[in-house]
Amino acid sequence: MVDNRPTPAAVFDCLQRIQEKETVSAAGLFDAEAVRRHGAFAGSVIESHDSLPRAMDHARSLIKQTVQANNSVASGTVILADTMSRSKGRFARQWHAPHGGVWGCMIHANTLLPQSRRFIPLATGLACCETVQELGVEQARLRWVNDVLVEKRKLAGFLVEGFTEQIHGEEFTLVGFGINVNNCSFPADLADSSVCLKKILGEEVNLTDFTALFLARLAWNFGLLYYEEARELQGEPFSGRDGRHLLLKRWLACSDSVGKRVVYGFDVMTAPQYRGKVLGIDDDGGLVLRLDDGHMKTEYSGEIRYLNSL
Amino acid sequence: MSNEIDFDELLRKYKSDPFDYVDVFAVHTGQVSFKVVEGEEVEAPSGEWLQVPGTRLYEINRERNPKIVAAQTNGTVAQINTDFDGRFVEAGEKLMTIKHPLKKKEIIENILKEVLSLFPAPETAKYFFAMDIQSRIEKKGARAVTIEPGEEILTMSLMKRDTPVYYHGERGVIHSIYFKPGVSVAQGEPLLGICAPEKLPLIQKIITRVKADWDSEH
Repeated sequence: MVDNRPTPAAVFDCLQRIQEKETVSAAGLFDAEAVRRHGAFAGSVIESHDSLPRAMDHARSLIKQTVQANNSVASGTVILADTMSRSKGRFARQWHAPHGGVWGCMIHANTLLPQSRRFIPLATGLACCETVQELGVEQARLRWVNDVLVEKRKLAGFLVEGFTEQIHGEEFTLVGFGINVNNCSFPADLADSSVCLKKILGEEVNLTDFTALFLARLAWNFGLLYYEEARELQGEPFSGRDGRHLLLKRWLACSDSVGKRVVYGFDVMTAPQYRGKVLGIDDDGGLVLRLDDGHMKTEYSGEIRYLNSL
Repeated sequence: MSNEIDFDELLRKYKSDPFDYVDVFAVHTGQVSFKVVEGEEVEAPSGEWLQVPGTRLYEINRERNPKIVAAQTNGTVAQINTDFDGRFVEAGEKLMTIKHPLKKKEIIENILKEVLSLFPAPETAKYFFAMDIQSRIEKKGARAVTIEPGEEILTMSLMKRDTPVYYHGERGVIHSIYFKPGVSVAQGEPLLGICAPEKLPLIQKIITRVKADWDSEH
């Protein structure tokens, strides 16, 4: 019996409610209905499994099989699993995915321009952060690029991978997500650095409802990417009050990385490179740092850890 | 291979003019203001993490957003299109040329680039070897690792989006590696130099020849 079973209709309803709220708060800054329409593909097909080895691998197989059968995979197809037995993070890291969490990935057909596509990792982390804030966890914050932390402990992580199917060469982005919701027991090496939503809220969270809301937020943020891209192509400025990309502005509002002393590394866990202070995020989502020698550097890949949490 | 490329001619060319001429283009549209003059020495980025910027070459201003563009290589400003100073230019307009003095190692690499199959970076990003390739390199050395068309050889990483990069080219061994993991490579720049296994001895002859010729005269 599968626990986590959101339906496309539930995601659509959540997305509709997001649009209504955003219409009020947007105050004419942007067209909320257009954003919703752009993002409504996300969650249009949802597969729920009780267990998978890896959602990303399943997504790749699904794409291959579908193309071999002369069909197209629906962009926005979401694959969920109550547990994953061989999930992994970046590099050689393991990812612990027992019952109670939200584990899965979304298949996105690559129809964004490169300058918009680079924001997908930001959009994904932001979707989760906004979802948990909406549930009352106002202290949830984003650490560049997309780790969701609550009081220095990691609530969620995201992995975004490109994939090209071999028959027609169609490109996809696989948006992987792992969110600790009701799973509050962690392996010893993760116990001090991880947290679950149930512990923060003090009560069990309805997994299906949570996932529907998260997917709706993901849909909304993808909608923002398409909406802002359309504006840029028409020669119009981005929708943020200072002409900044709306997704970037919202990401900054949810993040506490700016101003932090950090250690940076391409693989910061095994090979930290240097320490510095985060000065800001540039228009391409890059992390602007001042190193201890006073020089500045902007990084577009890699990871950070906050120094006061080490 | 030695029949297709005249190495005597190549060597003569590099001996008579041991420089690379690096053109600098406008990174986007905007109004240009030069920060260097012809004949001025410029420096490449430096520091352990390349955090010390190179010499400022020009500022380009679009819609009140000024951007400084700095040198990515050291050398001398050989030529500047001074007509553009203070004027609006299109993206990609050639602004100046930097004359970069080549070291022996660079000359060897440049000559090898004529004979190796170069595998370019599909996007400006950071690259690292796919795990399988990395472990084969660690066990046997890069030049003992043969790669086949369609094989996943690299991961391209940008903003925590990792994309596998598949090799498309002739079957061959990894002779030259032009990137360092964690260091950004511009789109189109070579990542790897590949050669057919049976051509390795010839490549080695070329390197030995260039080193001997170069050392005898410098």
